[in-house]
Amino acid sequence: MADAEFSVYMSGVGGQGLVLLSNVIGAACASAGIRALTGEQHGLSQRSGSINVHMRIGERIRSPLIPIGGADALLALEALEALRYIEYLRPGGIVLMNSRVQHPISETAKHMKDKQARYFSAEDVRARLSQVTDKISVIDALTLAKEAGSALAENIIMLGALSTVEAFPVPVDALKRSVAENVPKKAVDVNLKAFELGRSKAREQLCRVVKCRD
Amino acid sequence: MCNEAIVRGAIEADVKIVSAYPGSPTTEVLDTFSAVAPEFDYRMEISANEKVALETCAGAAMAGLRSITSMKSVGLNVASDAFYSLSYTGVRGGMVLVVADDPQAHSSQTEQDGRIFGPSAYVPMLEPSDPAEAKRMVKAAFDISEKYGVPVLLRTTTRVNHQSGIIDIGKVERKPFAKVRWDHPPGRFVTVADSARTFKLAMLERAMRLEDEFEGSDLNIVEDADSDTGIITSGAGYNYSVDACRELGIEPSMLKLGTTYPLPRKLIGGFLKKLKTVIIVEELSPYLELHVTAIAKDANPSVRVVGKWTGHFSEAFEYNTNIVVDGIAKALGMKPPVDYKAVMDRAQELKEGLADRWPTFCPGCPHRASLHALKQALKGVKHVVATDIGCYSMSFLEPINYGDTLLCMGACMGVAAGLQYAVEEKVVAIVGDSTFYHAGLPGLVNAIHHGDDFTLLILDNEVTAMTGQQPNPGSDVNAGGRAAKPMIIENVLRGFGLEDITIVDPYDVKKAVGPMKEALSRKGPNVIISRRACALHADRLKRKRGEKISSNDVSKEACKKPYTCIREFYCPALSIDDDDRKSVISKELCDKCDVCAKLCPFGSIKEREGG
Repeated sequence: MADAEFSVYMSGVGGQGLVLLSNVIGAACASAGIRALTGEQHGLSQRSGSINVHMRIGERIRSPLIPIGGADALLALEALEALRYIEYLRPGGIVLMNSRVQHPISETAKHMKDKQARYFSAEDVRARLSQVTDKISVIDALTLAKEAGSALAENIIMLGALSTVEAFPVPVDALKRSVAENVPKKAVDVNLKAFELGRSKAREQLCRVVKCRD
Repeated sequence: MCNEAIVRGAIEADVKIVSAYPGSPTTEVLDTFSAVAPEFDYRMEISANEKVALETCAGAAMAGLRSITSMKSVGLNVASDAFYSLSYTGVRGGMVLVVADDPQAHSSQTEQDGRIFGPSAYVPMLEPSDPAEAKRMVKAAFDISEKYGVPVLLRTTTRVNHQSGIIDIGKVERKPFAKVRWDHPPGRFVTVADSARTFKLAMLERAMRLEDEFEGSDLNIVEDADSDTGIITSGAGYNYSVDACRELGIEPSMLKLGTTYPLPRKLIGGFLKKLKTVIIVEELSPYLELHVTAIAKDANPSVRVVGKWTGHFSEAFEYNTNIVVDGIAKALGMKPPVDYKAVMDRAQELKEGLADRWPTFCPGCPHRASLHALKQALKGVKHVVATDIGCYSMSFLEPINYGDTLLCMGACMGVAAGLQYAVEEKVVAIVGDSTFYHAGLPGLVNAIHHGDDFTLLILDNEVTAMTGQQPNPGSDVNAGGRAAKPMIIENVLRGFGLEDITIVDPYDVKKAVGPMKEALSRKGPNVIISRRACALHADRLKRKRGEKISSNDVSKEACKKPYTCIREFYCPALSIDDDDRKSVISKELCDKCDVCAKLCPFGSIKEREGG
């Protein structure tokens, strides 16, 4: 396990809790004695921009940025943001993608002018991604998050799904503990439920194409 | 995060005075100090600007207390006047200045190289690569600062500041806060004429002693691989170099410089002696390359120095492992393991039709409405707009397309003064409240004094919004939630003798247009204040009070698709249904500011059933 390396490129839209997600994984690594580093891209604090976090696990890795073609997995909290960073995915790498689409205003502007225009959909994204990998899992994280008790828990739904992947070297228990310690106190139960819902959803679909663990 | 590690290091080093103005990528240094302020006894201010922050630290350090400030590279431009003099006078207590460059200009107006400040001011400069090293270097910086009586720069870049990793924490052993007696002779920190000349000689001698110290410093790391190829690097460049060598399967010798001013010339010369090729990996300007080339002239004239001047690396933009792999491979005649350009070209094909997601005003942002109202008020008026630094810098993007000039913090008023002499159009300047207090006041005083003919729109949202809603001089709190006296913009203006002031509420968007139009038709200088709390800030306060944030919905029956809610507005909570082409509001994103509801000519936007 000490030599295991795993890089996850995480993307989403400002306001979806991506930085919290990376903190949860980072803290889980720390508690499990696994070396991890992340590189975050933020600065403008506005909501609704495209944001990303490079999450890298491994003893010998020094750069917080994943090289092009170096991500073992791409975790997207919003569908379009999975395709936006496709160059980072290793050929045949894993894509965990929320089916929710937040239409960029630039696309809506075109819609206004062109009555035939249709939005880029999660299905369009999947079709494009399937040209480079067959390990794709599309999860309706918003619905599951609401089922868990809060629309804000999409990030933890996706973490639950990622936690089933055998190659992801962070123990499930450490992740759960970290969720409990890093989300707001009153939201702990909701988020732990979200984690489990993400896990079960991944078992239904992701684990058919990717080697999973218990 | 590295910014948090810097704070931890400073607290372990028993820092007593903290002052800073927010600026990405250093903002979390300020935020973290502010968040933990109630737990420690250091005194902290969120200053009006970086110059005041630096001066605050200077005063405390002259007296003998340890102080720290942090700022982005362009922040040090603002503070540089004090910075250069401070190197002359020196300090007694340890003083650390964290300055972060932003290669790629992710969140800055330029990607300048702040390393120039160290050598040009004779101020020692340390450069960490990761959070653990940053923490260690902050502590070392305080010791160096006190030993040599000089402030120390801790120079970082975005990819160092925003890097998170696991670090070991040390003991926090702090002495209780206590004031000291000022026991310096008169004139000790006065630099002018004769004393400046005396200080200059002392400063040069200090730099020589610092270089001697850095020759043996464990902040510089030599990884001798018994190879005739070597890499000299520092900061983020080291991280990329290590990973690039792994990708290429090579093991060159590596000199990682932690003290980048004064450079340890003997150490560098010794490293060069065994080499046939040395590759310099550094972002931005060829600072190390220049010095290595000069040192090589004596140390090893036959060594081949590979860097920017040889065309292997660029002076533009941020590096990453791919760029460094390509540069090293080209220098050594190797083939990179991955054809990155091919991967990027393929990715570009796959992304065909994927719309860009520009940063934009948040749902509920009052100043989307302010700019909408301004646009209505300026209909039919030819105009030139000088804008400034803040969220509203985005107004140059679609659909507002306002912003003919943007230079730096507070520049809009000076630029507007020049424009009103030069152009036939109506001149409008736009500034936010925080920028107004930061560097706008002299420009305003100048305009009032000269009677410059422009209208200033002040977008007041109570906080420094763009960097994460920190308090500013208009707030009633400061660092650590401590009470502070809020400045009232209109009182400031009246104090300066400006009486033509119009105040509007942007949420009352239709009613704001008329008064704005009138103000714009009058001879300047005059001011329109558009006032409403930042939506993110207001939402946070609402959640704290346990208030629910509800949302609006579009009535399918009432909507006649004029797109008034979208056109010229571009709220990210709004989109258009693919099938019936009517407007749709996202329940999750809507902030219920009601501005689009007020604009809709058919009244089709109402509160969503069940919130």
